[in-house]
Formats: sequence, structure tokens, C-alpha cells
Amino acid sequence: MQENAVEFRHISMEFPGVLANDDVSLDIRKGEVFALVGENGAGKTTLMNILYGIHEPTNGEVYIRGRKVERFSPKTAISMGVGMVHQHFMLVPSFTVAQNIVMSREPRRLGVLFDNKAAEAAAQRLVEEYGLAVDPAAVVREIGVGLQQRVEILKTLYRGADILILDEPTAVLTPQETDELFAVIRRVVRELGMTVIIITHKLYEVMAISDRVGVMRKGRLIGVENTCDVDEKKLASMMVGRPVLYDRLEKAGEAGAEQIAVHDLTVCDDRGLVAVDGLSLSVRAGEVLGIAAIEGNGQSELLEAITGMRRVERGTVEVCGQNVTGKTAGEIRKVGLSHIPEDRLATGVSRSASVTDNLLMGKQRDKAFSGFAFHQRRSSIERYAEEVYERFDIRGAGIDTAVGSMSGGNMQKVVVAREFSFDSPVLIIAQPTRGVDVGAIEFIHTRIIEKRNAGCAILLCSADLDEVFRLSDRIITMYEGRITGEFRTSDITKEEIGWYMTGHREGKEAAKA
Amino acid sequence: MKKLAGAVNYRYLLSLLLSILFAFLIGAGILAVSGFHPLEAYGAMLSGAFDSARHIGDFLEYAMVLCVCGLACVLGARVGIFNVGGEGQLLLGAIFAAQVGVWMDGQPRFLVIVCAALAAMAVGGLYAFLPGVLKVKVKVNEVITTIMLNTVAAYLCQYLAKGPWKNANKNMVAATEQLGAQYWFGNVIPRSNLTSAVFAAAVMAFLVWYVMERTSIGYEMRITGENPRFAFFSGLRTDQIVLLSMVVSGAMCGLVGMFRVYGVEHLYRDSVSKDYYFEALMVAMIAQYKPVTVILLSLFFAVLKIGAQGMELIGIPSQIYLIIQTVIIFCMAAESGITRSLTAAHERRRAKRAAEERLKEELKHG
Amino acid sequence: MDDLSAILASIFSSGTFNEMLRRATPVALAAIGGSLTEHAGIMNIGMDGMILMGAFFGVFGSYLFTSAWGGVGLVLLMGLLVGLFFALFVVKFRSDEFIIGCALNTFALGLTTYLSRSVFGTSGAKGFPSLPTVDLPLLDKIPFLGAVLNGHSLFVYLTWLFVLVLWVFIYKTPYGFWLRASGEKPETLRTAGIEPEKMKWLASILCGVLCALAGAHLSLGYLNGTFAENMSNSRGYIAFACVIFGAANPAKAYLAALMFGFFDAIGLRLQDYVSSDLTGIIPYAITIIMMVYVVVNAQRRRRHAAQQQLSRRARS
Repeated sequence: MQENAVEFRHISMEFPGVLANDDVSLDIRKGEVFALVGENGAGKTTLMNILYGIHEPTNGEVYIRGRKVERFSPKTAISMGVGMVHQHFMLVPSFTVAQNIVMSREPRRLGVLFDNKAAEAAAQRLVEEYGLAVDPAAVVREIGVGLQQRVEILKTLYRGADILILDEPTAVLTPQETDELFAVIRRVVRELGMTVIIITHKLYEVMAISDRVGVMRKGRLIGVENTCDVDEKKLASMMVGRPVLYDRLEKAGEAGAEQIAVHDLTVCDDRGLVAVDGLSLSVRAGEVLGIAAIEGNGQSELLEAITGMRRVERGTVEVCGQNVTGKTAGEIRKVGLSHIPEDRLATGVSRSASVTDNLLMGKQRDKAFSGFAFHQRRSSIERYAEEVYERFDIRGAGIDTAVGSMSGGNMQKVVVAREFSFDSPVLIIAQPTRGVDVGAIEFIHTRIIEKRNAGCAILLCSADLDEVFRLSDRIITMYEGRITGEFRTSDITKEEIGWYMTGHREGKEAAKA
Repeated sequence: MKKLAGAVNYRYLLSLLLSILFAFLIGAGILAVSGFHPLEAYGAMLSGAFDSARHIGDFLEYAMVLCVCGLACVLGARVGIFNVGGEGQLLLGAIFAAQVGVWMDGQPRFLVIVCAALAAMAVGGLYAFLPGVLKVKVKVNEVITTIMLNTVAAYLCQYLAKGPWKNANKNMVAATEQLGAQYWFGNVIPRSNLTSAVFAAAVMAFLVWYVMERTSIGYEMRITGENPRFAFFSGLRTDQIVLLSMVVSGAMCGLVGMFRVYGVEHLYRDSVSKDYYFEALMVAMIAQYKPVTVILLSLFFAVLKIGAQGMELIGIPSQIYLIIQTVIIFCMAAESGITRSLTAAHERRRAKRAAEERLKEELKHG
Repeated sequence: MDDLSAILASIFSSGTFNEMLRRATPVALAAIGGSLTEHAGIMNIGMDGMILMGAFFGVFGSYLFTSAWGGVGLVLLMGLLVGLFFALFVVKFRSDEFIIGCALNTFALGLTTYLSRSVFGTSGAKGFPSLPTVDLPLLDKIPFLGAVLNGHSLFVYLTWLFVLVLWVFIYKTPYGFWLRASGEKPETLRTAGIEPEKMKWLASILCGVLCALAGAHLSLGYLNGTFAENMSNSRGYIAFACVIFGAANPAKAYLAALMFGFFDAIGLRLQDYVSSDLTGIIPYAITIIMMVYVVVNAQRRRRHAAQQQLSRRARS
């Protein structure tokens, strides 16, 4: 009989209007790697945030190593040996690695002064002990995400954690970095007897690393299995509640004339560092070109530069045969481009505005909607909004609701509905289904392929490799702002793509060797 | 009709009324502590505003100033730029309008008034253009620049009124020459400050309301203010929208300066405005930058202000008015925070009960 | 030519620099307080009101206790209260900082004017016990420096101490790290087991006290026991500009305040030649230029970095 590291007893967590956890009871054994899987919004992160003391559950109890948690706060959790690596890293960008690691338990001189030397020494000791190489004196802002994650892990180790929660740790990692992370996890479990809980939705990772797996759906724990007793297919159907069978998307028609032409494009990111480095590509009418890349390799900046949201440092962009380099977003739209941005909250909608007003954007000066003296024709605007609302199957409290109060999927449908309503020959689509529920994913994919079949030139970028494979006719891989490979979708597998995404050019041969 | 009723925000109305009540209570406390009888004082306030046609005219005139300045502030706030520099724009508009009247002395009335209005608007607009450009092109915080420009304008006007544009009369320390009587705005209520400028102000208020609430331009402005990145992404020229709103806002403030000179003062001196724009800014904030609410609240606060002057007759400093006004703002700004903390505990208990209910149900069935 | 050299001589006299220190100090005190709130991620527009409250209650306390030190005591208390009040709205109720700041300034204007008129009448408050000036021994032996540094109220010297202490606090103690984290990335602090709100409260309260002291220096030290309506005269906003200019580093903010004081003092010198209304403009215009410079400089640096990188890549 193994002792349980954590016990959840009838945990319920309600946020205003959302039941995030519904009567979850779960035991996590000491010294195991437990994987918690589920779709977006299934309640995995909420459950772990409760364990880490960020939320106090509405109802239910938590026991850590048999001791009941009385006060829910990160402070208590840390003192009980729980450490958490959040999906969005909890690091202060302007501090050094060491300063971040020791935060809240700083070594001191004279009782009040921060002892930077001792902090760096402590960090260095941890680095050597666990083989997680990172320079303690480096400023966090200036190191890559992979290293930042190491800092996060070191931070929890510094605080003496022996129950480690990792929330979607591999989302920003290359396959190689993922392997290294898994090696570390195996080591700390084997050598130190730590307990690791890993939240993910990548099922092959579950199979690779975990001893047991729990599946969550819509706030409930659906089941807990020994990893060796299940396969990916079974887990997938547990996650969505039905066997996942995507319909085959019918692709029709031949690619036509070149509609997007990017030549020798160089673009900088917000920090002024080169993000896109002399890149060229071309997309023809009636085809989908997918970009496969790990986050932060210049794909976002590339799309922003094409759509006029970011300064072009060098090179040219042509849309529909016209040179649009240096033009504003509005001017490029007039040439015939629509854009689904990767961050819909920051760029794609106005949260406080109604669905109607969000759908109207870009058409507000049309004769049908704006009459004499720019008087808005509210009734025809509302009729239009109603019609689009129906056609795109947007579900919410109607066209007058503020978009900010809608779910991610419905919000994305508003964006898709608006951008697709311009009938532009060129579509730039970034992360079309990020944070969107399964039903809406299917809907949005169908719409995208409809547009392709109708002769649109589509440039697609997604962190979800399955999505890239499903929608694209051709795929390019990007690494550090450059193209590392270009393939017909039918000529390559996901595993091979992964190799190119990490900067390797002669894929297959090297992979074999 | 149903739509209209739906447009009234009851939560806002309730919190406004409670805030006003609370502010008057605080005011009463301060009055009591400083040795005045609160009821007597508020009585004096009420009669100070309503006891004569003249005072009614005065508060209507002040309501006009608050309303136009408040709408000028709304115009900026809607597109996401805070014009805190209305005071300076108003002063410069006033002094240039006054001086145009002096220069053009002897010209036809209509011509002089039009030229003065244009000058005031041009000067006010230009003075708003500077911080506007700095905000849009260089991304310099407009709050600081406009406040600095207020002080600069005040000094500049002092200099002009004491120096080159000085009144020949030795008793006038800092003032321009008086305008010819034929250029003065006619009184609407005799002996009060209310002049025919109020009609121009009413037209302006209507225009601002119409543009912001009923046109596609107002829609574009609103979206720009709510999420400038989204607005730019959707093809709006956000820089121009912000800059233009700022300039129009400044022009409106300049015009108020001209109203003050041609209606009330008949020359430029510093009593043209005593931080009137800041009071209008407070009104706009309380109104949460909604045009119609600004118009209504302007009337309310004008009554307070003129009434407070009536309180001076029984020895109470009129600044009690500022205290009441700001307490209302504090309450309104804290409203959502207070509501949140009040309801949070209640909401927790309710959710816990619901969860326990569900659990029991399941145990019964399972 | 003689005129010009006379002007220059008067500008660069020890009197100017003495005046610079005197005039910079209220702004500097507020600015180092503002550095704290800025680090805590609070845009503090309300410093002007805090200064005004300090100025009034300094004189009021001096009148009440017939002692300038009694005034300073009352100022410390009021600064604490104002800071608490500010934090209550901005931190606890999460109200809009801009609205609260503006309202606080107007509230302070209304309250101090009301109280001043109730207590002292419309003629204002003059001639109450003020802070004595301090002459540091030995310093008056040094020719130029002695004249510049001596003969100030204690606050001028205290400000140096505050700058040093706060600089150490912000950059060299764990609490300073928490303070900066609470502004830069509050969740980091929360997940480390420290409530970022605590640091925000602390910053607001200290800022309130420092701004109130700035006001006390204004009324008790700088103007010898006098309160005039709206006597802060936008110094709070200038202090805010100094905070931005100094990137919230108390030492740099102090230097920015000195620069402000220098131009203010020059204006005073130039009054013999130009209208005082025109010279009054100088510090405010300088503040705007300072703000523009900060932003333009940051942008230029970023562009420069990008250009360098591009040319490096082109070569390789």
C-alpha cells in the first residue's frame, strides 16, 4: 500500500457563471508521474491551482501527505512541499535567473540586504545538482522560453518542493527540449522520490512519461487509468465523450495564380530583435499554405508584417499582384486581404462592444449601414448581424451581448464570421482554433476549406500540428525566422516535420543517423 | 419606448444617487465640524441657486460651460486620449477672442463675432494639437503634457494681459481692453450671466451627441477608444481619429473661452475661468463619458456651484462644493470594487450550498 | 555684450544653485515617493493633491501647536492617511488610477481651500512658525559650495538621506525586489506566497508620506510658514514627469528634480530682464521636453539595436 501524496475529496469550484470543477475526487500516489488530460476548459488547471492554493475550492477538501489543507494560499502549499510550474511562466523579466529562483526566500546580509552572491551560488548549486544548465546571472528577459522553464523548475526545487505540478510544460518546447524535460522528470522521480503531476493535452506525451493518467471533461473527472492499460485512441474518446472522428475535408479545385508573394522579408519583434530573417514565400489562389513552427520562431511577426500590423525592415510583400510593402492594415485590406489574428482578445475584437458592433467593423461606412450625414441605419445593421449570427452558428445571449463575456469558441466565430464576410481573395489565418471547443473547431475548419475551394489563397499558421496537416496543401517549417523546409502535405509525416521545426535542414538522413 | 427604458442603466442610477447622498452626508459632517449648521448651509445652497431669476440664469450659464467642456473631454476620452488641458485651451481661446474683438473694433458685429469664434477655436485646437501629436506620433503620456501646457497657457495669458495686450486703464492689473458694447452677446435672463451663447452651446451639444451616438463616425471613435489595435487592424486610421478628436475637443474649449469673454466678462482677465475645465472633467468622469449624462449632470453641478456661492453669504467657503463633487467621484469609482467585496462572500456561501446539494443528490441516486 | 555677461554671471552664481536646491526639494521628495508607486505598478497622478494636503496641514499643525515640528508631526500623520486613502481605492477597490488621482487632486484643492478659509479667513495663512535653516559646520569655509549647500531647511538634507535609503531599499533589499515584482509581474509574487497588494499598499503609504513632506517643505521650509491656495502649483505632475524621466530610480528622479529646480531658479534670475510671467513658463516647458526626450530616446535605442543587428547579419 503506497502512501498518497495528494488526495482531493469532492472538490467543486465555481466561478461566476462557470462550474470549473464538479465533485472531483482523486488520489495521487507518492513517487508517481500522474498525467492529467482534458480539453481546454475541462478544469485541469483549476484543480491544480486549488492544490497550489491559488483558489480556495467552493466545496470539498484537499489532503497533502495525509494532512488536511486548512488555509488555501500558495504560501501554505509551498510550505507543504508543493511546487507548480505555470503554463504562463511566473518570472519577473527584468530580474536575473538567480533573483527569480530565490524570490520570497532570499539569502540576506545584515538581516535586510539582498545577498546577490549567495543567491547566484545557491542557483549554481541547484543547476549542478539537477543538470539543468542555465546561467544564474542571466537576465530572464534575454533568455529563451526553454531556459525560462528550467528556471521555473529550479525555483520549485529551491523552495524544497517534492510534489511538482507542470501545467502544459511542453507547449513552448522543441521536441528535443521536451525529451530533456522528460529525462529530468524521470530523474527526480527515481532519485529523489518526487511526485510529478503533468497537465497536458498531447496524448503521446502521456504515453511517454506517465505512470497513471486521469481524464477530465467539463469539470468532472471521467476516469483514472494505468497508462499501460490504455492507448491514445481510448484517451481521446474519454476526453471528448465520443469517439473522435473528424470528417474528411473535401478539397477540390486546382491552385491558380500567385496571390501572396513575400520576397526577402526581414522584420523585427517588439524588442527590436530580428524575428523574420530574409524570408520568401508564395501562396497561390485555391491553396492553403501552412506554417509549422514552435512558438516564437518569427511566424507571428511574419503574418503581422504581411497584414500591415508590423513594420517591414527589408524586402517586399505583394498581395493580389500589388506591392503593399509599408502600407497600413486598412490599405492592405482594401487590396483584398482579410486576417484572423492569433490573439483575438488583443487584436480581433473589442471586448466591451456588442456582437453587432464587432461584426459591423469594416463595413460601417457601407451604403446599407451608413446613410445621410453618416447616420447609422441601426435596423439594417441589426438585421445583418442577426443573419450572420445564425449563419455562423454563434451561440450566446444574442447580438447585443458584449463579446468579452462570450466563450472563446463563440468569440472566435465572431472573428471568423466578420473576416470571411469580406469575400477577400486572400486570407491570413493565425491560430484559428486556439482555446476553441471541439464542436467549433470542426465548424471553423469546414469554413476554411470552403474558402479554399472557392479560390482563396490562404496562409495558415497554427501551433496545432494536426490542424496544419488537416488543412494545408503545402507546409513550410520555420525556425528562427527562416524557412527550413517546404513540403506537399502528402509527402511528409508529423514526426519528420518536427525535425525541421528544430532548425535541421536535411531531415530524414540526419534523423536516421 | 421599451428600448428607451432599456437604455436607462438602473445600476448606474442607483449608485449615482447613493453616491450623491453619501457626499452630502460627508459635506454635512465637514460643515458641522467647522461650526456651521448643515441644514442651514444646504438651505443657503438651494436658495443661492434658485432664489432669483438672476441666479437661475447664472447656473444655467455655468451649466453651459460645464456641459461644453465636459463634452470636449468626452470627445477625447471616447477615443482613448484624455484632454486634461482644456483649461489652457479655454484661456488661450478667450484671450485671442478678446483681442480679435479689440483689433476689429468698428467692424460689423457679425463679422467680429465670427472671426473671434474662429480665432478661439483655431487657438484652442492648435493648443490641443501639440499634445495630440506627441501622444499619437511619439507616445508621450498626454495627461502630463496637457497639464504642463495648462500652466504654460496661464502664464502666457498673464503675460499678454499685463504686457502687449494690456488694458489702458491703470486699475486693471491683468486684463485686455474692453470690447465695444455692440459685440456683447445679448442677455437671455436680464442681469444674469446667461447670454445667447447658450443657444450655440445647445447646438454644439446636440451635434456632439448626434455624432457620437448616432453616426458611423461615432462608432469608429468608440471602437478606437475601446481597442485601438483592433480598430487599426480593421482598417481605421486610428492616429487621425485620435488627433482629430483632440483638436475638436480643444476647439470646443477655446470656444467656451470666447463665450465667457463675449457673454460675461467683455474683456480677458483670469476670472474667465477658474479651473472650470477641471470641474467639467469631474462631471465627465462621473457621467462615465456618456454625452446625455454629461448634459444632465452639468445642470446638477451648476446648481451646486452657484448655490455654493450663495453659501458664502453666510460665511461658508464655497469650496465645500468641490469636496462634495469629488466625494461623489470617489464613491462612483469605488462602486464596482465595493459591490464586488460585498457580494463575494455571499456568492461563496451560495455556491458552497449548491455544491453540497448536488453532492447529496448524487449520493441518494448513486 | 556686458548685458549678456551680467546675465550669465547672475545665472551661474552660487545664489542660483542655492535656489535650485531649495526649489528642487519639494519636487524631489514627491518624485522619490512616486518612484515607489511607479515600481509598484501604480500610475500616481494624485501626487499634486498629496503635496497640497501636506502643505496645508504643515501650516495648520504649526498654527495648532505653535511649533513647526508639531506641523511636521501632523504632516506625517496626514501623509499616512492620504496614502492609505489612495491605496484603499486603487489597490483594494481596484478603481481607475487616473480618475482617483484627478479626483484626489481636486479633493485636496477643495478641502485645503475650504479649511484654510474657515480657519484663517480669506487673506490666507502667513507667518506661522517655520522650520529653521541649517548651516552645516565647516561647509561655509568652502567658497562656492558652502554658499550653495548651506542655509537650507532640514528637508533639503533629509531628501539626500531619503534618496539613499530608498535607493538601497528598492535595489538592494528583498523587499525592494518584491516591490518591483508587484508592479512588473504581480502573479509571480503571489505564486511565491507573497501578496503583491501588500507591496502596493506599502508603496502608496510611503508615497503619501513623502509627498506630504514635500508639501510641508513647501509651506514650512520654503515659504516660511505660509499657506496659499493651490500652492502645489502642478509640482506633483512635474514630480511624476521626473519619475518617468528617472525610470523610477530615486537617484535619477532626484537629478531630474534638480534639473527642474535649476531651470526654475534661472527663471527667477531672468526676471530682472524678462517678464516673470514668461520665465514662469520655463520649468513647465522643460518638463514637456523631458517627457518627449525619454520616449524618443527609448525608441531610438531600440531602432539602433535593430539596425546594428541587421547590418551584422548582412555582413555575415
